[in-house]
Amino acid sequence: MKWPDSISIKHIALAFITGLLILVSVIGGFAAYQTRAVTRSLEQHNQNAALSELSAAVERLLSQTEDQAANLAQWDETRQQLVLPEYYTYWRDQRVYESGMLPPRFVRAALYDESGAMLAPSPAKISLPARLPARLPLYQSTSWLVDEGGHIALYHAFPVHNDERRQALLGYGLIRLDFMPALLHHEGLQFTDPASVHLTLKPGEVLAAPALLSRLQFSARPDPDQMRFQTILSRTLLALFVLLVATALLGFVAYNRLLVRPLRRLSQDIDAMQHGRFSTHPSRSQAMRISELENIRRSLYDYQLQLRELHGSLEHQNREFHSQARQDALTGCHNRRAYEEDWEAFRQELKTAPQGVAFLLFDCDRFKAINDTYGHAKGDRVLTIIADALVMALRANDRLYRLGGDEFATFLSRTTPAQAKQIAQRCQSLIDASAFTDLGISEPVGISIGIAFCAADQLEHIDDLPKQADIAMYTAKQPGRNRIALYGEDTERAAQALVASRETNALFQALSTPGMVEMHYQSIHGLPGRQVDYYEALARIRYNDDLIMPDAFLPVISNRRLETEFDLAVLHQVDADLSSGQLPTGIGVSINLSAQSISRPEIVSHLLELSRHNARHPLMLEITETSLITQMTEVRTYLELLRTVHYRIAMDDFGTGYSPLRYLVDLPVDVVKFDISLVNKLGQDNRAGQVVADFARMMSDAGYVLVAEGVESDTVLCKVESLGIAHVQGYLLSRPLPLAKLSANPAGLEAGASALA
Amino acid sequence: MRAYLLCLLISVFPAAAHAVIAKQDMRPGIPAGAEYLIGERSKPAVLLLHGFLQTREFSTVATLARGLQDAGYTVLAPTLSLNIPNRERSLACEAVHHHSLEQDVDEIGRWVGWLKARGHPTIVLVGHSFGSMQLLAYLSRTPDAAVKGYIGASLIEAQIGMASRPALIAQLENRVLSKRRALVTHALSFCRKYTSTPEGLLSYVRWDEAHVLAALKRSPVEVKLIMGDADDHLGQGWLKALQHIQAPMVIVQGASHFVDGQHEFDLLEHTLDFLEHVRQQGPAR
Repeated sequence: MKWPDSISIKHIALAFITGLLILVSVIGGFAAYQTRAVTRSLEQHNQNAALSELSAAVERLLSQTEDQAANLAQWDETRQQLVLPEYYTYWRDQRVYESGMLPPRFVRAALYDESGAMLAPSPAKISLPARLPARLPLYQSTSWLVDEGGHIALYHAFPVHNDERRQALLGYGLIRLDFMPALLHHEGLQFTDPASVHLTLKPGEVLAAPALLSRLQFSARPDPDQMRFQTILSRTLLALFVLLVATALLGFVAYNRLLVRPLRRLSQDIDAMQHGRFSTHPSRSQAMRISELENIRRSLYDYQLQLRELHGSLEHQNREFHSQARQDALTGCHNRRAYEEDWEAFRQELKTAPQGVAFLLFDCDRFKAINDTYGHAKGDRVLTIIADALVMALRANDRLYRLGGDEFATFLSRTTPAQAKQIAQRCQSLIDASAFTDLGISEPVGISIGIAFCAADQLEHIDDLPKQADIAMYTAKQPGRNRIALYGEDTERAAQALVASRETNALFQALSTPGMVEMHYQSIHGLPGRQVDYYEALARIRYNDDLIMPDAFLPVISNRRLETEFDLAVLHQVDADLSSGQLPTGIGVSINLSAQSISRPEIVSHLLELSRHNARHPLMLEITETSLITQMTEVRTYLELLRTVHYRIAMDDFGTGYSPLRYLVDLPVDVVKFDISLVNKLGQDNRAGQVVADFARMMSDAGYVLVAEGVESDTVLCKVESLGIAHVQGYLLSRPLPLAKLSANPAGLEAGASALA
Repeated sequence: MRAYLLCLLISVFPAAAHAVIAKQDMRPGIPAGAEYLIGERSKPAVLLLHGFLQTREFSTVATLARGLQDAGYTVLAPTLSLNIPNRERSLACEAVHHHSLEQDVDEIGRWVGWLKARGHPTIVLVGHSFGSMQLLAYLSRTPDAAVKGYIGASLIEAQIGMASRPALIAQLENRVLSKRRALVTHALSFCRKYTSTPEGLLSYVRWDEAHVLAALKRSPVEVKLIMGDADDHLGQGWLKALQHIQAPMVIVQGASHFVDGQHEFDLLEHTLDFLEHVRQQGPAR
């Protein structure tokens, strides 16, 4: 049997009352049983008392009869009658009764002579034997009973002597009693029912008096006190039971009203509160009669009010949070979470309401450079202005989502490609009209917009829209484009986009899979001897036996802000290569790092660990000059730290960035690598070439070690040598080689030269 | 006549040591008993008779018997049978009185003879109340020569109430003559309903005051009456009548019919005086 988890208080009350009634019934039954036992005991007692009483009565009657007989035997007048029986009838019929010797009722007497013959015949109505039974022992008193026509007669015969010494027998006396009347008339029987006293004798049977009692049938008289006791007890038990039942019912009703209902109400209220339903039922304010319950109700009521207020507050806050969670804090437009939710909901809606859908992806052109140049505050303002302009340009029901960074998106329902393009153009117009100059930004700020469209009958491709818009965006950002591209219409290089997508996958897989980043080493030669001084480690990604070049994945790194992660992967791989011992001892290695990574502690920590190779392979860090260094002080500190462990610092791509001179001033730069665009200027015999040459000479004079990279012609090489630039790098001398090939051909020069040749 | 000496009761008292119950058949089937208190041989024997329907156990008689025995007199106190075998209790008025005065006298005679047979030459008859009358009836017949004196204490006639004695006697005589044996009930002495045979009642009824006075006058022995002046059983003028015939009589002042209480001593004293007087008269004739 399995007990229920919980039992209702009403059931408890019912069980209690039922148990109480059962208990009372059991007690009542036990009392009735005991009463019955007492009654039986009393009945037995009455029966015994009746037996004793009847025995005593019989004994008294016999004794009385014997006494009467004795008195008669000793009575002078009895003896006179036996001697002079002339007036015997007077004596028999009158004298014995008037003298008080015998009671007048139920008793008759007769005298017999010595031979047992009656002195005189008895009257006809009185049955007395004419002769005494011969078998009786008449020398003494003898009693016997006979049935005479339905009447039991008790006979007592006795001898009569002439004196007290019984020396001479005069005759006999006989007393006859109507037994039952004589027994019952004079005896005040209290315990014996007189009507029940009965003696049955067979016809002609003579019953000796001593055996009388055993043949006497009787029953006890119902004891009135006992009957009264039983009646009172029965009524009391019945009244008690009725009273208890009534009390139990009243108690149950009261219990139900005072406890069960209020508790049930409280329970329902608590359940409602648990499910967030706040009842305003008027009964809630009704007072309960039980003070403890009333306290609970009042507390619960107050608690409910507080909870309701709290709930309202929480709902408000939830709405706030929900709104905030779906809102971009900077621009005020919807954020990526809202985008995902709305996009999913919109997709579901399209299943029931097919329509043409356009997905627009917005990306701020050169926002990274703006951000790096003018600072994050102004970058944020730029984003805000762009967002405001986009919102204004969109239709009233269109929503603008900021997906991250400077990337925004929207999807237009019930539209056509033309309408989408029109809206995109309006967006661009408003942004172009925005006053970015008020922020101190003099250069133009614009956005590229990728559009993907899905007709109402092609909604099965709806999930491709974001990706298609991204491809279109890529197309729009291509130089020479008008910065708005519609997928399918403007994306001639859709295949490339697919490749790009493959490279993106390769990048993310490489970041999470050690070994996929493969380092190729390009030698840097000293001048004028053109000996290999060190190698620049250049990253490639090995993906499905293909080698993905940096120009394919670096934009992705830039867009995804994966510089640090990628640099870490590069450092891990360089560390592995250096540890492999495949590089010739004494040959240094130059490692490219983004400016953002220099300020990351994990990069610095790894560089410090990597510095253990400095003894065999002097290490150099190349910081790309095109990247904007915003945390100049921290970068300087880290670079100086790294220099203490013998890192040399090189400024890469010098001449293409934003603040080259500032970097040279503020940062501990040892080497300056002229960008290929500047190096190519050296080959030109014009003013630009002259400026570059003068600048290189000035840098050398200032103590910087110069490296000319991108040297691909002998003309440039000669110019570089003439300018006194210490090192040179380029396909003219060598191409980047994987470590395995580098081991086979440490110089790489021949390979590069031969390749160049 | 057969006489029985049934038993002797011996007690610690000297007098009781001389007490005997004597019995003899008065008539066939009618034995009667008497207490025989043995005294001095030199003194007269006393036959002491009880009153109407009483026995020798009656207090006046029993007390007087003990007093006489104490004084050295032999006393025989019989209980008249009244035709009842071994009667030992007083007989109720309503009982069947199947006896007569003649039978009473006969029994007295038998007891006188019993005493005489026991060697008592001088016998004094002492009766109380109705017994005095019965003794007087015995004296009026042919008394034994041994009888020397007679004391009648509270002597009384056979009273019959307010009825006419002659009429009653006539009625009874009529019944007797006609042999109608049915019991009759009439007042007799202190019984208001005395149930008796006609001849038995008639035998007593004849003894009226005159009959008694005549018997006194004709008494063959010396007579002494002891009467109480407070005896309310007596008829009016009875004492005067007795005085009128000059019967020797002692009237005890204040004594009732039963001469009880302190008057018992007067009764005893006067009886002893008479007995002493008889004893001094000499032995039997």
